[in-house]
Amino acid sequence: MIPIIGIMLLLLSIGLAVTIVFNEKYSKVISTVVSLIVMELAILLLYVFLAGAAGSPGSISENYMYYISNFGISLNFVVNPVSLALILMASVVSFVTMLSGNVENENLKVSSILVLLFELAAIGLFASGNLFIFFIFWDVGVVALFFMIYLLGSANRRMAAIKFIMYELLASLLLLFAIMLIYFNTPLHSFDISYITANYSSIPVGTQALIFSLFFFAFLINMPVFPVHLWLPDAHTEASTQGSMLLSGVLTKFGGYGMILAFIMLPIANEFTPVIAILAGFSAFYAAFVLMTQHDIKRIIAYTTIVEMSIVLVGISAFSTLGIMGATYAMLAHGFAISMLFLVSGTIGYMFSDRDIRSVKGVVRNSISTAYTFLTGVFATTGVPLTAAFVGDVLIFIAAIQKFSLYGAIPLFSIMLMGAFLYYVVNKSILSTKDASKPVEYVGTSQRVGFSILLFFIFLFGVLPFIALSIFSNFSI
Amino acid sequence: MFALLVIVPLLAAALLALPLKRFPNIVKYIAFAASLVSLLLAYLVFSYGPFTTQSFNWFSANGISFNISIATLPLNMLLLMVVSLITPLVFLYSLGFMEVPSEQPRFFFEMSIFAASMMLFAISANFITMFIAWEMLGITSYLLIGFWYHKEHAPTAARKAITTILIGDIFMLAAILIIGTTYGTFGFSAIMGSPSSPALYVALSFILIAAFTKSAQFPFHEWLSDAMEGPTPVSAFLHSSTMVKAGVFLIAVLFPLYVKADMLGIILVIGLVSAILGATNALTERHIKKILAYSTIEDLGLMFVALGLGSVMAAMMLFFVQAFYKALLFMGAGYIMKANDEKEDIYSTYGSSTRKLVFLSIVIAAVSLAGLFPMSGFFGKDAVNSVASNMVVYSMLLLIGFASSIYIFRWLFIPLRKSYESGTEININYKSTPRSMLIPMFILAALVFVADYAYLKLPGFLNGSYSIALLSAVVGNVIAVIGIIVAYRVYMKGFRAKLSSTNKMLFNVLYSSRAVNAVYLYIVGVTMAFARAVSAFDFSFDKSIYGLARSVITSGNGLRKIVNGQTNSYVFAFVLGIMFLIVLYVLA
Repeated sequence: MIPIIGIMLLLLSIGLAVTIVFNEKYSKVISTVVSLIVMELAILLLYVFLAGAAGSPGSISENYMYYISNFGISLNFVVNPVSLALILMASVVSFVTMLSGNVENENLKVSSILVLLFELAAIGLFASGNLFIFFIFWDVGVVALFFMIYLLGSANRRMAAIKFIMYELLASLLLLFAIMLIYFNTPLHSFDISYITANYSSIPVGTQALIFSLFFFAFLINMPVFPVHLWLPDAHTEASTQGSMLLSGVLTKFGGYGMILAFIMLPIANEFTPVIAILAGFSAFYAAFVLMTQHDIKRIIAYTTIVEMSIVLVGISAFSTLGIMGATYAMLAHGFAISMLFLVSGTIGYMFSDRDIRSVKGVVRNSISTAYTFLTGVFATTGVPLTAAFVGDVLIFIAAIQKFSLYGAIPLFSIMLMGAFLYYVVNKSILSTKDASKPVEYVGTSQRVGFSILLFFIFLFGVLPFIALSIFSNFSI
Repeated sequence: MFALLVIVPLLAAALLALPLKRFPNIVKYIAFAASLVSLLLAYLVFSYGPFTTQSFNWFSANGISFNISIATLPLNMLLLMVVSLITPLVFLYSLGFMEVPSEQPRFFFEMSIFAASMMLFAISANFITMFIAWEMLGITSYLLIGFWYHKEHAPTAARKAITTILIGDIFMLAAILIIGTTYGTFGFSAIMGSPSSPALYVALSFILIAAFTKSAQFPFHEWLSDAMEGPTPVSAFLHSSTMVKAGVFLIAVLFPLYVKADMLGIILVIGLVSAILGATNALTERHIKKILAYSTIEDLGLMFVALGLGSVMAAMMLFFVQAFYKALLFMGAGYIMKANDEKEDIYSTYGSSTRKLVFLSIVIAAVSLAGLFPMSGFFGKDAVNSVASNMVVYSMLLLIGFASSIYIFRWLFIPLRKSYESGTEININYKSTPRSMLIPMFILAALVFVADYAYLKLPGFLNGSYSIALLSAVVGNVIAVIGIIVAYRVYMKGFRAKLSSTNKMLFNVLYSSRAVNAVYLYIVGVTMAFARAVSAFDFSFDKSIYGLARSVITSGNGLRKIVNGQTNSYVFAFVLGIMFLIVLYVLA
């Protein structure tokens, strides 16, 4: 058995070191190659997982040396269906980010280092079988993105970066507190996720509820869902294109994945599900309404992230096998779609030196590929059949209707509001005429390649959903 | 699975259109050839059918399977026949109509997908397959309506269409998921065999809303008249066989469920209201294509009326014959507009009778729409009239028939005015119309007659019954003739000028389009106002958290002043603390 996760992380660390050492000239090439290999390893991991899943219950685990042996903290990696889907998504999104996210071709060295660092954190986090290293990777990812905003963002970046890190520090604090509580309340004092899942009942019920609420708020901040969503729009507006792609595409999935973990580890969550579902549904409508008054394309897309992640939370709150599957699928789909939309809006911002829908006109006149990719991104966000989001939405809402009867279908209508406004954006800026002949920059080949890779995955998982669903064949909660 | 082959040529053509951007000449012929192959395949399906439901698994999750399921039951075959007949004709017409070579690949790409998704819709036998086709129709129609995005109003019209359709799509998805969760299956036939449940009422009303958005029924009808911003072949296609027919067709397929749920009354009322609104707007509109668009709303309304009266047979009769005359009328409108430098107002278009044979075919279509006997339109309108058991409904249907014969001849007579001479620009324009635009019109004119055959065949085919009642038929024809005479007196003989004093008032009563659009804008305005309020809350929420952070910093700054480095103040604080502890100790 090849230790694929180990190789992926090792490769990323080596790539990171090499990028730091070498000249700026080579940094983009090195890091792109490294992330390409990591992406292929992720596809290999999918293959190995599926081959294994045919015989035995599908999960791959890799165990390395004890990290802090006194406390039983080891570098222990477990790949379950949820994390496999997210690893696949994260590696593809990171690769595309590396390849085509840096539209301006500036700060190549710093951005390459930070993207690789973030990819390392993302894959480590999704694969971690141990809450302690989960926490470490979480913070590494947050710090990498903090610097991506702080160093590479636009004019108002410092403010946004501080805001981002303050919210994320609060999340980290809650997370750390919850992990410590778990550690001291389990009989063997363990951080091991599978051990905790098996022995949750030995924790007193009140403490379980407390731990769950701590987890819940930590992950709620990260997802983000109302009322702790405020960092996201600012962070997106100020972040570089690469930062935005990773922020919405992958970082928000930390929260989603953590939420799924928290639900699975502590089934006491079941008692809170109606409240969580109401909060999530409210958040979806709230974000959809706020979205309708925005003018900055990136800010609009940032709010669609809140809508989509709220819908993911609806799926998680259904707390059934189908709901978790749907939530995972929706996160997978959303990662591709949203990073594509941010890549497109970064490209538009570069072409026009402007992202305001009131002044950007007629993108299709300047770049057909950018315009139609944006349009496809809108389809992929609103859950049109044959795009991956459709499968996710369908599974989530079936689970929600099963759990909450007809009320479960209500959050679906937030997509209607969101979609209506996204079509308004298309009407205003994308498929329209250009009034003045403003000079525009041209779209590079690497952006177009990036578009097509993400489009490929959006349609792959939309047209052939069984590829991703087959990894869930032995999955149940 | 054989029936699924019908859509393959068109999808292949669409895929070919993408890379062949540089060779528009090849692309358009490939698309046209593909539509002919589809027609041939549909013919084979027709001759070997009907087949029962066949399905294969698309994906399944946790025990729920999502199948692609198709059937060629009589109803499916009827729609398949209409679509596969109209598609090559529209494509042929487009060969001449779309002159700009750079636009052709995109146009034929989108049209091929549009046609393929309608064919998929026609043969779908479960909600999943139907929904895929349903959404594809919505998206491609959006792209085609906004095809000329450089035009002033086209992007807005396309957005209006997609927004209305999106409302329907979400309702449809909600309905499908509710049905899927309740019954554990998505198949049409399986659900029809299942007992009714409260969830089914909700789902059925959601589907009804979706069908009304797709078929442009009140209160969702205004997008269809704006959709005229698209190229004329698109209108001809959209109004005759694709897109708007989807809503009616779906309700017809699910008809037993609506009977079981006792929801026919709503369908009847909405259909009647839409038909009246369509007819009155068509009477007053001046845009050459919008008149026809409102006429489509009327026709679709009549189909819903027939369904509401409990007769799938009558609805399908009109459904079938309407396709031919409406496609022909739109092609005629495109032909007239093209010769008149794309002028859209009927009062500024002239000389439609320059080519006698073409004009004759347009007249055939108009007479068919008016519902006069030898044309197939008669059977459609008469079928609906004949099922009207209620006297109120019947008289309203007659009134609508009267209005429709007036407006269609108004549409016909006004551009007929002769203000051209041989050798003038308009004359040359008419004479130089590409032959590929004219041939489909002649074929359709013939099909308007051939469709009479439906009277003999359709009742047996659909297991329905329909025979002409002589009295009703005569009354319908007389009213249509009176309508034609009125239109002739008013619009050909110049009586319109004498009517002008009452015209304005009459116009305001009849032309409801502006009022409906004002209501739409009001709803959008209210939503936006609410969104602004939510957004303002979001902003102040952000600011209040910022204020909280500020206050922490301020209090920190205040506390910092205690640490001032002066020994006397430290000693003072120390003594104060000791005293406080002593007091505490003594009290305790």
